[in-house]
Amino acid sequence: MPYRFLSHTADAAVVLEAPDEAGLRAAGVAALRELLVGDSPVAVALERPIRASGNDTAERLINYLREVLYLYDAERFVPAEAGAEGVRGEPFQADRHRATREVKAVTYHGAEVRRGADGGLRATVVFDL
Amino acid sequence: METSVRVERIDAYRWRVPRHGGMRTDGLIFADEGLMRDLEGDQAVQQVANVAHLPGIVGPAIAMPDIHWGYGFPIGGVAAFDLETGVVSPGGVGYDINCGVRLLATSLSISEARPRLGALVDALYRTIPSGVGASRSDVILQRRELEAVLREGARWAVEHGFGVPADLEAIEANGTLEGADPGAVSDRAKERGKSQLGTVGSGNHFVEVGYVAETFDAAAAARLGLEPGRLTVFIHSGSRGLGYQVCDDSLETMLRASAKYAIPLPDKQLCCAPLASPEARQYWGAMNAAANFAFANRQLMAHYARRALAQVFGPEAAERTHLVYDVCHNIAKIERHVVAGAPRRVCVHRKGATRAFPPGHPELASQFRDLGQPVLIPGDMGRYSYVLLGTEGAFRETFGSTCHGAGRRLSRHQAKKLARPRNILKELEAQGILVRAANRGTVDEEMPEAYKDVSRVVDVVHAAGIGRKVVQLKPVAVVKG
Repeated sequence: MPYRFLSHTADAAVVLEAPDEAGLRAAGVAALRELLVGDSPVAVALERPIRASGNDTAERLINYLREVLYLYDAERFVPAEAGAEGVRGEPFQADRHRATREVKAVTYHGAEVRRGADGGLRATVVFDL
Repeated sequence: METSVRVERIDAYRWRVPRHGGMRTDGLIFADEGLMRDLEGDQAVQQVANVAHLPGIVGPAIAMPDIHWGYGFPIGGVAAFDLETGVVSPGGVGYDINCGVRLLATSLSISEARPRLGALVDALYRTIPSGVGASRSDVILQRRELEAVLREGARWAVEHGFGVPADLEAIEANGTLEGADPGAVSDRAKERGKSQLGTVGSGNHFVEVGYVAETFDAAAAARLGLEPGRLTVFIHSGSRGLGYQVCDDSLETMLRASAKYAIPLPDKQLCCAPLASPEARQYWGAMNAAANFAFANRQLMAHYARRALAQVFGPEAAERTHLVYDVCHNIAKIERHVVAGAPRRVCVHRKGATRAFPPGHPELASQFRDLGQPVLIPGDMGRYSYVLLGTEGAFRETFGSTCHGAGRRLSRHQAKKLARPRNILKELEAQGILVRAANRGTVDEEMPEAYKDVSRVVDVVHAAGIGRKVVQLKPVAVVKG
């Protein structure tokens, strides 16, 4: 599993680990998807484009995940996985997807990406619930 | 993510985080020994120290006894800033701008109402949409109407038949914050908000029917219409997706502003801008607009709660239900306070903290002028909530602020694990508390044991003199998201 949730009393904090920036985005989408729809199956039917900018890797990751969350919340597009140009998934269907909880935002709290001894990247992201 | 910050005990209810490193002032935490112990192992105290780094902070960075680990500011955080040298930080308000609570008092007693509580909670569940992404099909605002809501808040709702004019006198700032600029609210935020007015949402938000179970100040309780046994309706919600988006939109601007104005940040979520800057003015206009949306949201929910009371107990029950008070607990406001013996206007951020103005304060409506401001403190859905009054002590020590709730003690994951082999709905029903919820998972995550005992928090506030207990309410029926 490229992500694991940390104990956090009020919100949700997740550690993402991946060899590169694209891998961090993939792990971030997987964590967010679990928070939003639990283990509901999500088909890779469409790709929605996302252009995420930022001054560093952490900001780009957070800004990317903010867009994924916006697409879910405002346009009911359920994320399945990160895509090369955006995020892949499908429109929300009440008979297939269980909306498990409200995620208010992807925060910049403690946003930092570090390179480990093995050369891989590690980021912690806090979601406001 | 654990940190250790030195904390010194001042007295039984106050702890100092001494100024060190880049801190511009001390931190001041209100808590007893047990509540301080609860903070071990998380970042809440570090977050108090972080807030003390921000430019133009006036007085200490303060935390209430329900302090817990948030993002940027701790939940339960209060900080005031000088209008010329200080900043406004969206992280000091939170995503759910003007999340708050409102309390209605009915004319019914719990003994009269008890036989029909099932019908009442069903009616509330039907009339007030709850759950993830809840929306209303009967109130969808066109752009011009939405902009009027953003400018006028609860006043718009009352003028459109959702409530009565007397309601407005019992709302913080009369339900309309000045300085709202609908033009500063993005199209994305407006899109998210247009069908969410009058909805409770999910997570810790709720509509709760309760009754006055214990009285600490009978005269004040009678003045507020909270006699023993009186049936009440408590509503907890905020600005929904519109507010989340306003905060989210502002953060990129504020990150750039922090770099532009050379403000060092111990945490990016504390990004901010000088109060006199164009970036701050933009956020200020959007934040106040979102706050007005939240006031209107709770006003509509109160209207639909009255409708549910009318359906079950007849129209007179709705007509005789009055608004006790409505308070924000996520907001920044310009207020006049006394600092070092001199009156001064400052920008007070309250994130998970409630305004608690004392008797005689000119901003209070005439009916509260000699009493002090009512303060509403929800607990968890299995135990109790409190009504307090604001005090001189709060005005002197905490920029007129006090606590806002119980504070979680278990993470959602821990709560779910604890709830898995049990049926929380049935357990609550066995205690005489009926629950209707859009999602059973939310009930598990919000189980009573997930929260600290709110009486521990309120007792500290009362003993420290930054709030005064009036009554305790016990729940009998709850609608959750």
